[in-house]
Amino acid sequence: MNIFFVAVGMGLCALVFLVLYRAIFGPGVFNRIAAISAVGTKTLIILLIIGYVYNRVDMFIDISMVYALLNFIGCIAAAKYLEMER
Amino acid sequence: MIGKSDDIIIKTIARIFVPFLQLYALYVIMHGHYSPGGGFQGGVILGASMALLLITHGYDELKRRLPEGVLLLLGSLGVLIYAGIGLLCLILGGNYLDYSQLSVILGVDAAHARSLGILGVELGVGFTVMAIMYSIFFDISTGGILPEDQRREGRVEGER
Repeated sequence: MNIFFVAVGMGLCALVFLVLYRAIFGPGVFNRIAAISAVGTKTLIILLIIGYVYNRVDMFIDISMVYALLNFIGCIAAAKYLEMER
Repeated sequence: MIGKSDDIIIKTIARIFVPFLQLYALYVIMHGHYSPGGGFQGGVILGASMALLLITHGYDELKRRLPEGVLLLLGSLGVLIYAGIGLLCLILGGNYLDYSQLSVILGVDAAHARSLGILGVELGVGFTVMAIMYSIFFDISTGGILPEDQRREGRVEGER
Protein backbone atom coordinates (compact mmCIF):
# COMPACT_ATOMS: atom_id res chain seq x y z
CA MET A 1 0.00 0.00 0.00
CA ASN A 2 2.89 2.34 0.73
CA ILE A 3 4.23 1.92 -2.79
CA PHE A 4 0.81 2.83 -4.15
CA PHE A 5 0.74 6.09 -2.18
CA VAL A 6 4.29 6.97 -3.22
CA ALA A 7 3.43 6.33 -6.86
CA VAL A 8 0.30 8.49 -6.66
CA GLY A 9 2.33 11.24 -5.02
CA MET A 10 4.96 11.15 -7.74
CA GLY A 11 2.26 11.28 -10.40
CA LEU A 12 0.72 14.33 -8.74
CA CYS A 13 4.17 15.96 -8.61
CA ALA A 14 4.47 15.46 -12.38
CA LEU A 15 1.01 17.02 -12.82
CA VAL A 16 2.12 20.02 -10.76
CA PHE A 17 4.88 20.69 -13.29
CA LEU A 18 2.32 20.38 -16.08
CA VAL A 19 0.17 23.06 -14.44
CA LEU A 20 3.25 25.16 -13.69
CA TYR A 21 3.80 25.50 -17.44
CA ARG A 22 0.40 27.20 -17.69
CA ALA A 23 1.29 29.43 -14.74
CA ILE A 24 4.53 30.60 -16.36
CA PHE A 25 3.64 30.89 -20.05
CA GLY A 26 -0.14 31.05 -19.81
CA PRO A 27 -1.71 33.85 -21.80
CA GLY A 28 -3.35 36.34 -19.50
CA VAL A 29 -3.52 36.74 -15.76
CA PHE A 30 -6.63 34.65 -15.22
CA ASN A 31 -4.96 31.52 -16.55
CA ARG A 32 -2.12 32.14 -14.13
CA ILE A 33 -4.43 32.56 -11.14
CA ALA A 34 -6.31 29.37 -12.02
CA ALA A 35 -2.99 27.53 -12.42
CA ILE A 36 -1.69 28.71 -9.05
CA SER A 37 -4.94 27.63 -7.44
CA ALA A 38 -4.64 24.19 -9.05
CA VAL A 39 -1.06 23.87 -7.80
CA GLY A 40 -2.32 24.66 -4.30
CA THR A 41 -4.98 21.96 -4.52
CA LYS A 42 -2.45 19.36 -5.69
CA THR A 43 -0.06 20.37 -2.91
CA LEU A 44 -2.86 19.71 -0.41
CA ILE A 45 -3.35 16.16 -1.70
CA ILE A 46 0.40 15.55 -1.80
CA LEU A 47 0.62 16.64 1.85
CA LEU A 48 -2.10 14.14 2.80
CA ILE A 49 -0.31 11.39 0.88
CA ILE A 50 2.92 12.19 2.71
CA GLY A 51 0.91 11.87 5.91
CA TYR A 52 -0.28 8.41 4.87
CA VAL A 53 3.25 7.32 3.95
CA TYR A 54 4.61 8.35 7.36
CA ASN A 55 1.49 7.13 9.24
CA ARG A 56 0.90 10.60 10.69
CA VAL A 57 -2.32 11.64 8.95
CA ASP A 58 -3.60 13.40 12.08
CA MET A 59 -0.66 15.81 11.89
CA PHE A 60 -0.72 16.44 8.19
CA ILE A 61 -4.46 16.97 7.92
CA ASP A 62 -4.13 20.15 9.99
CA ILE A 63 -1.43 21.51 7.71
CA SER A 64 -3.34 20.64 4.57
CA MET A 65 -6.50 22.28 5.90
CA VAL A 66 -4.65 25.53 6.61
CA TYR A 67 -3.16 25.28 3.14
CA ALA A 68 -6.60 24.99 1.58
CA LEU A 69 -7.96 27.95 3.55
CA LEU A 70 -5.05 30.23 2.72
CA ASN A 71 -5.16 29.13 -0.92
CA PHE A 72 -8.80 30.20 -1.09
CA ILE A 73 -8.11 33.56 0.54
CA GLY A 74 -5.12 34.21 -1.71
CA CYS A 75 -7.18 33.42 -4.80
CA ILE A 76 -9.92 35.85 -3.72
CA ALA A 77 -7.35 38.54 -2.90
CA ALA A 78 -5.74 38.21 -6.34
CA ALA A 79 -9.14 38.45 -8.02
CA LYS A 80 -9.98 41.53 -5.95
CA TYR A 81 -6.69 43.14 -6.92
CA LEU A 82 -7.48 42.56 -10.58
CA GLU A 83 -10.91 44.09 -10.08
CA MET A 84 -9.30 47.22 -8.62
CA GLU A 85 -6.79 47.45 -11.47
CA ARG A 86 -9.51 47.57 -14.10
CA MET B 1 -8.80 51.45 -1.63
CA ILE B 2 -10.77 48.33 -0.86
CA GLY B 3 -14.45 48.90 -1.43
CA LYS B 4 -17.51 46.79 -0.91
CA SER B 5 -17.66 43.78 -3.18
CA ASP B 6 -20.92 43.62 -5.11
CA ASP B 7 -20.73 39.91 -5.85
CA ILE B 8 -23.26 38.00 -3.77
CA ILE B 9 -21.51 34.61 -4.17
CA ILE B 10 -18.23 35.87 -2.72
CA LYS B 11 -19.98 37.69 0.10
CA THR B 12 -22.14 34.73 1.09
CA ILE B 13 -19.23 32.29 0.98
CA ALA B 14 -17.13 34.61 3.10
CA ARG B 15 -19.94 35.06 5.60
CA ILE B 16 -20.37 31.31 5.99
CA PHE B 17 -16.64 30.67 5.93
CA VAL B 18 -15.28 33.17 8.45
CA PRO B 19 -16.72 31.64 11.68
CA PHE B 20 -15.30 28.22 10.81
CA LEU B 21 -11.96 29.81 9.97
CA GLN B 22 -11.86 31.52 13.37
CA LEU B 23 -12.93 28.35 15.17
CA TYR B 24 -10.16 26.49 13.39
CA ALA B 25 -7.68 29.19 14.41
CA LEU B 26 -8.71 28.75 18.04
CA TYR B 27 -8.25 24.98 17.66
CA VAL B 28 -4.75 25.54 16.27
CA ILE B 29 -3.88 27.78 19.22
CA MET B 30 -5.37 25.49 21.87
CA HIS B 31 -4.13 22.21 20.40
CA GLY B 32 -0.66 23.55 19.74
CA HIS B 33 1.15 21.14 22.08
CA TYR B 34 -0.04 17.99 20.31
CA SER B 35 -0.29 18.94 16.66
CA PRO B 36 1.44 21.38 14.33
CA GLY B 37 0.56 24.92 15.20
CA GLY B 38 0.64 27.19 18.19
CA GLY B 39 0.15 30.82 18.96
CA PHE B 40 1.77 32.29 15.88
CA GLN B 41 0.08 30.01 13.37
CA GLY B 42 -3.34 30.37 14.95
CA GLY B 43 -2.90 34.13 15.06
CA VAL B 44 -2.03 34.19 11.38
CA ILE B 45 -5.19 32.21 10.56
CA LEU B 46 -7.26 34.63 12.66
CA GLY B 47 -5.66 37.55 10.83
CA ALA B 48 -6.36 35.84 7.51
CA SER B 49 -10.05 35.54 8.42
CA MET B 50 -10.12 39.28 9.14
CA ALA B 51 -8.36 39.94 5.82
CA LEU B 52 -11.02 37.84 4.05
CA LEU B 53 -13.73 39.96 5.68
CA LEU B 54 -11.92 43.14 4.64
CA ILE B 55 -11.65 41.93 1.04
CA THR B 56 -15.26 40.87 0.73
CA HIS B 57 -17.21 43.24 2.97
CA GLY B 58 -15.26 46.44 2.53
CA TYR B 59 -13.59 48.95 4.77
CA ASP B 60 -16.65 50.49 6.42
CA GLU B 61 -18.03 47.20 7.72
CA LEU B 62 -14.66 46.22 9.17
CA LYS B 63 -14.23 49.60 10.82
CA ARG B 64 -17.54 49.03 12.58
CA ARG B 65 -16.57 45.55 13.73
CA LEU B 66 -12.89 46.02 14.53
CA PRO B 67 -11.79 49.64 14.95
CA GLU B 68 -8.12 50.47 14.81
CA GLY B 69 -8.06 51.39 18.48
CA VAL B 70 -9.27 47.92 19.45
CA LEU B 71 -6.66 46.46 17.13
CA LEU B 72 -3.84 48.33 18.86
CA LEU B 73 -5.30 47.39 22.23
CA LEU B 74 -5.37 43.69 21.30
CA GLY B 75 -1.80 43.81 20.02
CA SER B 76 -0.57 45.41 23.23
CA LEU B 77 -2.69 43.09 25.39
CA GLY B 78 -0.99 40.05 23.90
CA VAL B 79 2.47 41.40 24.69
CA LEU B 80 1.24 42.26 28.18
CA ILE B 81 -0.02 38.68 28.73
CA TYR B 82 3.26 37.20 27.52
CA ALA B 83 5.51 39.51 29.53
CA GLY B 84 3.16 39.40 32.53
CA ILE B 85 3.25 35.61 32.80
CA GLY B 86 7.03 35.69 32.42
CA LEU B 87 7.45 38.34 35.08
CA LEU B 88 5.00 36.55 37.38
CA CYS B 89 7.25 33.50 37.25
CA LEU B 90 10.22 35.75 37.95
CA ILE B 91 8.46 37.28 40.96
CA LEU B 92 7.49 33.84 42.32
CA GLY B 93 11.16 32.90 42.47
CA GLY B 94 11.85 31.02 39.23
CA ASN B 95 13.46 31.94 35.96
CA TYR B 96 11.72 34.07 33.34
CA LEU B 97 8.83 31.99 31.86
CA ASP B 98 9.49 29.15 34.32
CA TYR B 99 5.86 28.04 34.36
CA SER B 100 6.16 25.48 37.14
CA GLN B 101 6.31 28.35 39.65
CA LEU B 102 2.70 29.20 38.74
CA SER B 103 1.48 26.12 40.65
CA VAL B 104 1.38 28.25 43.82
CA ILE B 105 -1.19 30.62 42.29
CA LEU B 106 -3.21 28.16 40.23
CA GLY B 107 -3.37 25.53 42.95
CA VAL B 108 -2.37 22.57 40.75
CA ASP B 109 0.78 20.49 40.52
CA ALA B 110 3.82 21.57 38.50
CA ALA B 111 3.02 19.67 35.29
CA HIS B 112 -0.48 21.14 35.08
CA ALA B 113 0.86 24.60 35.85
CA ARG B 114 3.41 24.25 33.04
CA SER B 115 0.69 23.27 30.57
CA LEU B 116 -1.60 26.12 31.60
CA GLY B 117 1.25 28.63 31.51
CA ILE B 118 2.17 27.62 27.99
CA LEU B 119 -1.50 27.96 27.00
CA GLY B 120 -1.63 31.49 28.42
CA VAL B 121 1.53 32.54 26.63
CA GLU B 122 0.26 31.12 23.36
CA LEU B 123 -3.02 33.00 23.74
CA GLY B 124 -1.02 36.21 24.14
CA VAL B 125 1.07 35.45 21.07
CA GLY B 126 -2.13 34.67 19.13
CA PHE B 127 -3.75 38.01 20.04
CA THR B 128 -0.69 40.00 19.07
CA VAL B 129 -0.05 38.18 15.82
CA MET B 130 -3.69 38.51 14.80
CA ALA B 131 -3.75 42.25 15.44
CA ILE B 132 -0.42 42.96 13.79
CA MET B 133 -1.03 40.74 10.74
CA TYR B 134 -4.39 42.34 10.10
CA SER B 135 -2.91 45.79 10.72
CA ILE B 136 -0.14 45.18 8.16
CA PHE B 137 -2.66 43.92 5.60
CA PHE B 138 -4.91 46.89 6.30
CA ASP B 139 -2.11 49.43 5.90
CA ILE B 140 -0.86 47.89 2.66
CA SER B 141 -4.31 47.57 1.13
CA THR B 142 -5.38 51.13 1.92
CA GLY B 143 -1.98 52.65 1.18
CA GLY B 144 -2.38 54.86 4.25
CA ILE B 145 -5.26 56.78 2.65
CA LEU B 146 -8.50 56.33 4.56
CA PRO B 147 -11.93 57.21 3.16
CA GLU B 148 -12.79 59.59 5.97
CA ASP B 149 -9.66 61.65 5.23
CA GLN B 150 -10.71 61.93 1.61
CA ARG B 151 -14.24 62.85 2.63
CA ARG B 152 -12.92 65.56 4.91
CA GLU B 153 -10.86 67.03 2.10
CA GLY B 154 -13.93 66.97 -0.09
CA ARG B 155 -12.74 64.72 -2.89
CA VAL B 156 -14.54 61.41 -2.69
CA GLU B 157 -13.57 59.14 -5.55
CA GLY B 158 -16.57 56.85 -5.80
CA GLU B 159 -17.16 53.69 -3.85
CA ARG B 160 -13.91 52.00 -4.84
